[in-house]
Amino acid sequence: MAVLDHAARTIFLTEFVKGMALTLKYFFKKKVTINYPHEKGPLSPRFRGEHALRRYENGEERCIACKLCEAICPAQAITIEADIKEDGSRRTTRYDIDMTKCIYCGFCQEACPVEAIVEGPNFEYSTETREELLYDKEKLLDNGDRWESQLALNIELDAPYR
Amino acid sequence: MGKYLDIFVGWFGYRLDDWALLTFGTILNILVVVLPVLLAVAMIVWVDRKVWAAIHLRKGPNIVGPFGLLQSFADGLKVFLKETIIPAGANKFLFLLAPALSLIFGLVGWAVIPFGEGVVISDLNVGILYLFAVSSLAVYGIIIAGWASNSRYAFLGAMRSAAQMVSYEVSIGFVLVCVLMCVGSLNLTDVVLAQKNVLFGVNGYFFSGLFPMFIIFFISALAETNRTPFDLPEAEEEIVAGFQIEYSSMSMALFYLGEYANIILMCGMMSILFFGGWLPPFDWEPLYAVPGVIWLFTKMFFFFFCFAWVKMTVPRYRYDQLMRLGWKVFLPISLVWVVLTSGYLVFFGRLAS
Amino acid sequence: MPTLTIDGIEVEVEPGTTVLQAAEQAGIEIPRFCYHERLSIAGNCRMCLVEVSPGPPKPAASCALPAGDGMEVKTNTEKVKKFREGVMEFLLINHPLDCPVCDQGGECDLQDQSVAYGEGASRYKEKRRIVEEKYMGPLIRTIMTRCIHCTRCVRFADEVAGVPSLGAIGRGENMQITTYKEQAFASELSGNVVDLCPVGALTSKPYTFKARPWELKNTETIDVHDALGSNIRIDSRGRAVMRALPRIHEEVNEEWISDKTRHAVDGLAKNRLDRPYVKKDGKLQQATWAKAFEVIAKKLKGLDGKQIAGIVGDLCDAESMYAMNTLLKSLGGSVECRQDGSKIGAKHRSGYLFNSGVTGIDEADACLLIGSNPRLESPVLNARLRQRWLTRQCKVANVGPEVDITYKIEQLGDSATILQDILDGKNEFAEVLKSAEKPMLILGQGALNRDDSLVILKLAHDIAEKYGLVTDEWNGFNVLHTAASRVAALDMGLVTDAGIEGILSGAESGDIKVVYNLGADEFDTSRLKKAFVIYQGSHGDEGVRHADVVLPGVAYTEKPATYLNTEGRVQTAQRAIFGPGEAREDWTIFRALSEVLGQSLPFDNIAELRASMANDYPQFAIIDQKPNAEWADFGVAGKVSKDGFKLAITDFYGTNPIARSSETMDECRAAMNGTNQSEGATGTDG
Repeated sequence: MAVLDHAARTIFLTEFVKGMALTLKYFFKKKVTINYPHEKGPLSPRFRGEHALRRYENGEERCIACKLCEAICPAQAITIEADIKEDGSRRTTRYDIDMTKCIYCGFCQEACPVEAIVEGPNFEYSTETREELLYDKEKLLDNGDRWESQLALNIELDAPYR
Repeated sequence: MGKYLDIFVGWFGYRLDDWALLTFGTILNILVVVLPVLLAVAMIVWVDRKVWAAIHLRKGPNIVGPFGLLQSFADGLKVFLKETIIPAGANKFLFLLAPALSLIFGLVGWAVIPFGEGVVISDLNVGILYLFAVSSLAVYGIIIAGWASNSRYAFLGAMRSAAQMVSYEVSIGFVLVCVLMCVGSLNLTDVVLAQKNVLFGVNGYFFSGLFPMFIIFFISALAETNRTPFDLPEAEEEIVAGFQIEYSSMSMALFYLGEYANIILMCGMMSILFFGGWLPPFDWEPLYAVPGVIWLFTKMFFFFFCFAWVKMTVPRYRYDQLMRLGWKVFLPISLVWVVLTSGYLVFFGRLAS
Repeated sequence: MPTLTIDGIEVEVEPGTTVLQAAEQAGIEIPRFCYHERLSIAGNCRMCLVEVSPGPPKPAASCALPAGDGMEVKTNTEKVKKFREGVMEFLLINHPLDCPVCDQGGECDLQDQSVAYGEGASRYKEKRRIVEEKYMGPLIRTIMTRCIHCTRCVRFADEVAGVPSLGAIGRGENMQITTYKEQAFASELSGNVVDLCPVGALTSKPYTFKARPWELKNTETIDVHDALGSNIRIDSRGRAVMRALPRIHEEVNEEWISDKTRHAVDGLAKNRLDRPYVKKDGKLQQATWAKAFEVIAKKLKGLDGKQIAGIVGDLCDAESMYAMNTLLKSLGGSVECRQDGSKIGAKHRSGYLFNSGVTGIDEADACLLIGSNPRLESPVLNARLRQRWLTRQCKVANVGPEVDITYKIEQLGDSATILQDILDGKNEFAEVLKSAEKPMLILGQGALNRDDSLVILKLAHDIAEKYGLVTDEWNGFNVLHTAASRVAALDMGLVTDAGIEGILSGAESGDIKVVYNLGADEFDTSRLKKAFVIYQGSHGDEGVRHADVVLPGVAYTEKPATYLNTEGRVQTAQRAIFGPGEAREDWTIFRALSEVLGQSLPFDNIAELRASMANDYPQFAIIDQKPNAEWADFGVAGKVSKDGFKLAITDFYGTNPIARSSETMDECRAAMNGTNQSEGATGTDG
């Protein structure tokens, strides 16, 4: 019987018909598309978008050049050079993220002991040239200043789960 | 054809000499068919994308024009404005010839497709054979493209395409033999007319012992036009667009046009060979009030929908599976069917003289 | 011999061994902070607590507990785990959690052991202790809040460096490690406390915040700043050397290196020659390699061999000297290695080696220094001699200027005639030498660059023979070199009859037309003005001043090379980074030049070169073994002058082009001079 069954299924293409029926069912289902530039989907506080370097409220940059983000970065997209500042503190002289290498895994913000490097909610930062995607410290700090309210809120919302 | 000539004479009110008339009239005839075909291609691409989107639970193109209808024209314009890149190592002449050939072979088949009784550019008495030949020629565009690109992926794509088309043409050939034995003529108009009231008032061979042949023809048509699940020549995931890899701008668009013209042609062939062409589905007098062209287009549209539907349902065949299906399944079945059909016709004396 | 059981493993140890050392022999790791193999036992960190029976039912500090027969030690029980967690928690009460900004982060004992043995969470809520920073000189950065009071640095200063300027003040929570009177830690070995510090309290000042340990590529290589050939590890990032650290080699440098070795590496990035130069219109102008070679070939064409001379510098490796010698010999020229005017001959190997070996110091029971200041000429060797002196089994006497070498030595006077007195038995130290079982003498370069050096050499030779410095198993005749290249050069016989003076006067008189200078910067090159000078080296220093063609070679971190230290020990160095710009490994320059000159050298890669070199000089193939040179007769009998000795090194921080290019070395010099004024002579000014 099993052989007959199998033969019948093969000859009458039952699997094929079943599959076709399934896709046809979906053909008539309600569509889920969002009209993106006009409508936007909700973002989780944990969303990992464009990077930003944050500052303390007094304007002092948070990053202490510990290089843990550089070490953890699986794509090796982060380059940091550190030096001693006039006041004796440890600060970066260079903090570059190659956004073309970045895989947005979020390890950098996980590794950061001072919540300086974060991945913010911004995902609309496409550029016309590659060079614009090689972010330097200035650009990252600028991002931080621009998105600070949102970034702080996201960190606060996610804090209970950490 | 004569009918059109008469119209033409009527419009202009005087007669050109025969030679000029013949040339001018033929060109006009061709334009009357080709321009709608190209327009249909544009629209059918939109349909294709809409069907895929619907099955993906997406909306599909909906920005350009009402319901996104003008999407294809926007894409066409974009492609037209782009730069045609010719690889340094490519054979320039062949490289540019290939897409043109591909489009030409996609269009010339339409010469013998009857849109109604007598409404055909060239009412060849070997229409089926002609179609068969033209669809086989389509492979040249692809092979030349693959060769001239001087790229490994392109060449691999071309090789796959050649093997695939040759394999499936064999079974298509036998399917056609089955049909033409039943009809007793190679003329496509005759083929359509012979399908009137095949069984229980249904117009079309599909409603007879030839139904399995229709299935084989449908599947082979997918393979013949490089559609999923037989799109190995351009498999993105393996050989990144295959024979098209080096093409850009208009040269790529020509491939696209040719491909879709071929697909519509195949839909037309299925309608004509198995579904009674311009005849209504049932041999019931009121249905004949609807113009034959509408019936034909409806059938073609349905088959095109099936093409899109299949593409969204089944995954791509592996190369060895493709070959196995062609040679070990379709060839024997179609061969046996030729024997059975002919046996049946001879036994019942239905063989047309 | 006590036999004890540690975690069920029975081990038999020497009497006097501590439980911690016994556990190490048994392959069991006991965590520790204050204990260090080369320092005295302090027992104040309590991290090494173990359970011991028989004994009182309380934890015992294994580092301070001598192993007793029949002892049963447990290091893996729940109790011991609790001891360790407790100690860890105490240590972390006041230790700031600033690992992200700490330079020790990633190579920190406290970090590692906290992960391995700590509890993982802190219960401490009160205020932490904050300690103000201390000044310890230009090399040591202090963040004393991080200090866990292990006192390793204090013990190092007292016991190894011999400069007891570190200490602890206050007690309990108020204890602070500091230098007395806020002065620099005035030792040539000061950098080693950074390695010793198990936390980030003492870190390297020049390296502050420069790199993280995980970013660095470690290359095991050999130091060239003195002739000891300390084993070092070069840590590089990209094309920059970030720091140098010691490697352990018991027979050479144990685990110490001098500050020059450690901190002159910043000179590797400065004053570098990165492209060839050719003199045109009286000025050196940039040129291509081809152009430079063409100029050299044109100049050398038709010259007699006697008109060509070569000089090799102090930092050269054996391979480049061998290539140079082979090339110049094929042209008929000769090479001279004694740029400091030393008179030492190359004929008898035992006449220029540190025959007893560095380990010989550990056995010596009398030592006579002649015209040498080992503190500056080889600080690590001096530390070893000091260790021997500390055992009170070795008397050390000095013939030469009075210097502070961090321990008390018998000053015999500053005149070469004293040697004659010793030989004649007229000096009281003759008795010491005679009665000693393994006496040794150390002949410094200060004794060898005089006009009567050969006579002094003969005197030393005779003293060695007369007082039993040379026996079948013992050879106490030692020459302490200052140039890393010297022994290899002498082994290859790179000496000329008239010495460096001959070349300089020859150049002045016009007898020598072409001088090929391979990195020799320690003499007055203005005397070469008349000759055509080809300078090949890594730094733009004295040598390029009067050069006509400059060929960029590479520094010691940038080439695989062989060096022979003062003992004649052959050691191979690896390439840590590539040289800057168009600079090439030195032997390859000679190989390329030889092609242009039509005298192709018969080797195409370093392996072939080494094979060829080992074929000519078999001693170069015996890697890392102290050679036993056959005793011979050397020196010239005669009368010595009464003059005092002029020491070879007066400026420890500027003995070679790399050190002179180093800003850190400048800072050290300034700091040392500063302390000299307040503390009296420490020897840096001779």
